[in-house]
Amino acid sequence: MKRLIKTMVLVAAGLMVVACNGNKFDSKKNICVISREDGSGTKSAFMEIIGLKGKSDVKDVVIASGTAAVLEEVKINPYAIAYDSLGYITEDVKKLSVDGVEPTTTKIKSGDYKISRPLNVVYKESNVKSSDLLTSYLGFLGTKEAEKIISEKGYVVPVEATNNYQINTALYGTIKISGSTSLQPLMIVLAAKYEALQTSVEIEVSGGGSGTGYANAENDVSNFGMISEEFKLEKAPDCVFSTVAKDGIAIIVNKINTYTNISKDQLKNIYNVEQDSATKISLWKDLDN
Amino acid sequence: MLSFYKFIAIREKIMKATFFMCAFFSLFSLLLIMLYLFMNGIPFISKIGFSNFVFGTLWAPLSDVASYGIFNMIIATLYVTALSTLFGGTLGVFTAIALYKFIPKKFVRIISQLINLLAGIPSVIYGLFGMRFVVPFVRDYISNNGVGYGIFSTSLVLGIMILPTIVSISLDSLNSVSSKFYEGALALGATKEIAVFKIMVPAAKSGIFASIILGTGRALGETMAVIMIIGGSPQFPSSIFESVRTLTSNIAMGANELSGDALSALIASGVILFAFSLMLNISFSLIESKKKEN
Repeated sequence: MKRLIKTMVLVAAGLMVVACNGNKFDSKKNICVISREDGSGTKSAFMEIIGLKGKSDVKDVVIASGTAAVLEEVKINPYAIAYDSLGYITEDVKKLSVDGVEPTTTKIKSGDYKISRPLNVVYKESNVKSSDLLTSYLGFLGTKEAEKIISEKGYVVPVEATNNYQINTALYGTIKISGSTSLQPLMIVLAAKYEALQTSVEIEVSGGGSGTGYANAENDVSNFGMISEEFKLEKAPDCVFSTVAKDGIAIIVNKINTYTNISKDQLKNIYNVEQDSATKISLWKDLDN
Repeated sequence: MLSFYKFIAIREKIMKATFFMCAFFSLFSLLLIMLYLFMNGIPFISKIGFSNFVFGTLWAPLSDVASYGIFNMIIATLYVTALSTLFGGTLGVFTAIALYKFIPKKFVRIISQLINLLAGIPSVIYGLFGMRFVVPFVRDYISNNGVGYGIFSTSLVLGIMILPTIVSISLDSLNSVSSKFYEGALALGATKEIAVFKIMVPAAKSGIFASIILGTGRALGETMAVIMIIGGSPQFPSSIFESVRTLTSNIAMGANELSGDALSALIASGVILFAFSLMLNISFSLIESKKKEN
């Protein structure tokens, strides 16, 4: 009995030592492809941009549910590759250049960085027209105050704002916003700014994904739905949209990864379910060819 | 004025109605859930065909030609459930046996209480633990292909999750076996080990099986922990070290994002899941009724 316990303790200690060892990047290992769940706006935008619109996920893909989960996974997995909203990316992971262009707001604005998409709010026009509160909030999203926040957070402003926000003391009530987890962090900051300007207004911002954004706006669950892709009328036939910001989709890898650049074709090969064996990329060193 | 006895009689009636309402409410919610599942699931299954749904191998609800085959996920679910029952069952039954006779009595209480504490940990914490510790460890040191996600990691974590169920029920059923059997075996010259393994464990067999079946039920239905460790690719599980998707995680991943036919497909896979857990429950009550006969 005593010997058994001793052996177990030794084995456990040994495993711990082994576990703390390592942290060298080995390019002969498999690329661990991270994707998002079906219905994610980031996913449909990314797949469309790299030319895989409507295709299934590649074999062995790991699905992370939500923008934060993607980041978390890349942070701890040295062989992971993923795409994630640029405004959301922290210093804990490394961004790859795509075709030699770094993902920065200036490069997105100039159009040099190709992988970007609009962040939209969708709403029913009749609802917004009949409510001063909703009209005011929609207007606020295009003012200089909002523009300042949008560019500070690393997003690109769609149209240069010309006017400041005018406070209207008569406004009160609650605005409900839900949808894309890519737009959610920006929307929370924008909403907080609006609440500071209009003190009797309360704004609830919740997530759920772009699919939820369409559905909630269409079914009057939320006043505004957030979507992180080009507006598709068939998903919410009664709604119209307005672009809040433009967001790059960055390709991210773990910090110890030694690669700094990837081409759009390579990305397509990595994420393509129908990849043929000649161009197939499954190991990190395949990127060198 | 009401007489005292009449007052009592009325009070009795009111209480009876209250209790009846409570009992009715739980039955009613069960009926409502079943009705919801079947009314939304069955039409969908008959629309695309039972064999296309259950034996179809392509899950692509959003592609241009939508396809709703859940066969791969059924197999992954069965794999995960079986392997976690194997892990948790073996570990749990031996833990119960150790707690029963082989561990000094003063430690038994504290150890079994610590194990019961495992049952109180929210499943998302198990998921987090799996994602941060089990998955990287399996990826770097156990898996042959550098993938930490999958059936193996998930089953390890689920095995721990179902431990408390298995340990506590197995221990209860061992304790309920009359100690005369044990003493008799010792008196006939059996060693402690033989008495426990050859006499007491077989006598508590049905209780131990029941505990394993309850644990299996928990592993089958677990969602949150699984979704964080399973990987999530809807492919056929050809190895225990690759990203796959179970039925529960498929429902949870899609429920917020999908609509229309795709959502009906999720509800329909709920029907299949319901059928699985019904089978488990029936086998549990069969064992229980057999136990009563003995």
